[in-house]
Amino acid sequence: MARDEVRIQILVDADVARAIVVARQLSREAGLSTPRSTMIATAVSELARNILKYARRGSVTVRAIDRDGRRRVEILATDRGPGIADIETAMKEHFSSGGTLGLGLSGVERMMDEFDIESAPGEGTRVCAALWL
Amino acid sequence: MLDGETVVHENDAAQAIRLRALYQIDEMDLERIRSLGSALDGKIDAAVARFYEWMRPLPEFNEYLSDPAVLERVRRLQVAYWVDFLRGVIDAEFVASRRSLGAIHARIGLPLDTYLGGMNSFLMTFSEVASESDSDSFDTSHVTSLSKVLHLDTAIVIDEYNAITKTIIAEQGDALMEMSTPVTEVWADILMLPIVGVIDSRRSMEIMNTMLSKIAETRAHVAILDISGVAVIDTAVANHLIKVTRATRLMGCECLISGVSPAIAQTMVELGIDVGTVRTTATLQDALGMAFHVTGHTVQREA
Ligand SMILES: Nc1ncnc2c1ncn2[C@@H]1O[C@H](COP(=O)(O)OP(=O)(O)OP(=O)(O)O)[C@@H](O)[C@H]1O
Ligand SMILES: [Mg+2]
Repeated sequence: MARDEVRIQILVDADVARAIVVARQLSREAGLSTPRSTMIATAVSELARNILKYARRGSVTVRAIDRDGRRRVEILATDRGPGIADIETAMKEHFSSGGTLGLGLSGVERMMDEFDIESAPGEGTRVCAALWL
Repeated sequence: MLDGETVVHENDAAQAIRLRALYQIDEMDLERIRSLGSALDGKIDAAVARFYEWMRPLPEFNEYLSDPAVLERVRRLQVAYWVDFLRGVIDAEFVASRRSLGAIHARIGLPLDTYLGGMNSFLMTFSEVASESDSDSFDTSHVTSLSKVLHLDTAIVIDEYNAITKTIIAEQGDALMEMSTPVTEVWADILMLPIVGVIDSRRSMEIMNTMLSKIAETRAHVAILDISGVAVIDTAVANHLIKVTRATRLMGCECLISGVSPAIAQTMVELGIDVGTVRTTATLQDALGMAFHVTGHTVQREA
């Protein structure tokens, strides 16, 4: 049976792996092309890894949904971690507080048709991203 | 409820505040818990004794508590647990001690239904003992407050139980993974490592280590990393693969990355990953051809 919504708690590396696999499958079943399904899975990977790395735990939801009369696959990544004080800087290419490439968030924004991030220090972070079918 | 060290985490204090709001526990509730605490002063041993009357006929009793020394230790900790509970304070230490309780139960593999059954039986014996002691000071509002705090308490224990169970599953996965980085010398001077599935940080490290030690061992001049079976190449994985190619190059071995599918190629471009001088090919066959060229082999069909 095709699922059109999956929510995965992110606590350990294995959860990230599961989220990637499930996101790719759901995207394909929803009718996204292989490259675009791979982009959804890659975005899930980036967001879930950020959760593990910076917030330690959180959750990722992937769903196929109709909005404004059009079908889309969307990702919702939320955590109640430390949050991001300066979103503009965090979104910059090659900015990382964790010593890696710093391409995650900016890359996800480039890959997706829609991207939205909300975050406040001490409150956590919420990223919503989507690809239209 | 066995022994375990309690380590307070940085977000336990915030967690305590969040959970109090979630279970709608106010100062009145905590005050009622404390008044229950004083009503039960000196009677907790009796309540714990009743709990064991409930527990004794169950198969779990024999499985976990047949050793009298263990039983005595658990009993003492249990008394301490309830004394702590009846202090009516929900703070970082409270959260931390409940977390460690969940961890212990998960590690010994105590089924959750046994734990919940135990809590339930406890609540019952407990209300009985309290109402016997002084019926005036114990009414329904006390039961409500008691059950709110018990739910909060149980939620922390289960959450941690869940986290530990996930860690155990991940560890089992790791054990399987040990076998999943098979570097083989496919030809004289040529190594190959096919990667399948999802690459996490642990696996990245393994790829690096196995590859480098195999190069040291075989003195190979070309290594092919085939990623056609990899689910996604995100920035962390790309970063790592680039590092692997740099490290092999330092050891005098050219590393080719093969099996870059159209989907992966497009995604990497969108992500903004620059592979620099890393040599990549679409198919394993192309990489093998390149490897033969680099090592000076010519492969010919017999005339
Ligand atoms: N969920 C989060 N909670 C708190 N901070 C975050 C979160 N996600 C990202 N950040 C902050 O935003 C910065 C940029 O994130 P981004 O994913 O772009 O790069 P990175 O994770 O540092 O590196 P890369 O993803 O390339 O390995 C991070 O360094 C971190 O400071
Ligand atoms: Mg990142």
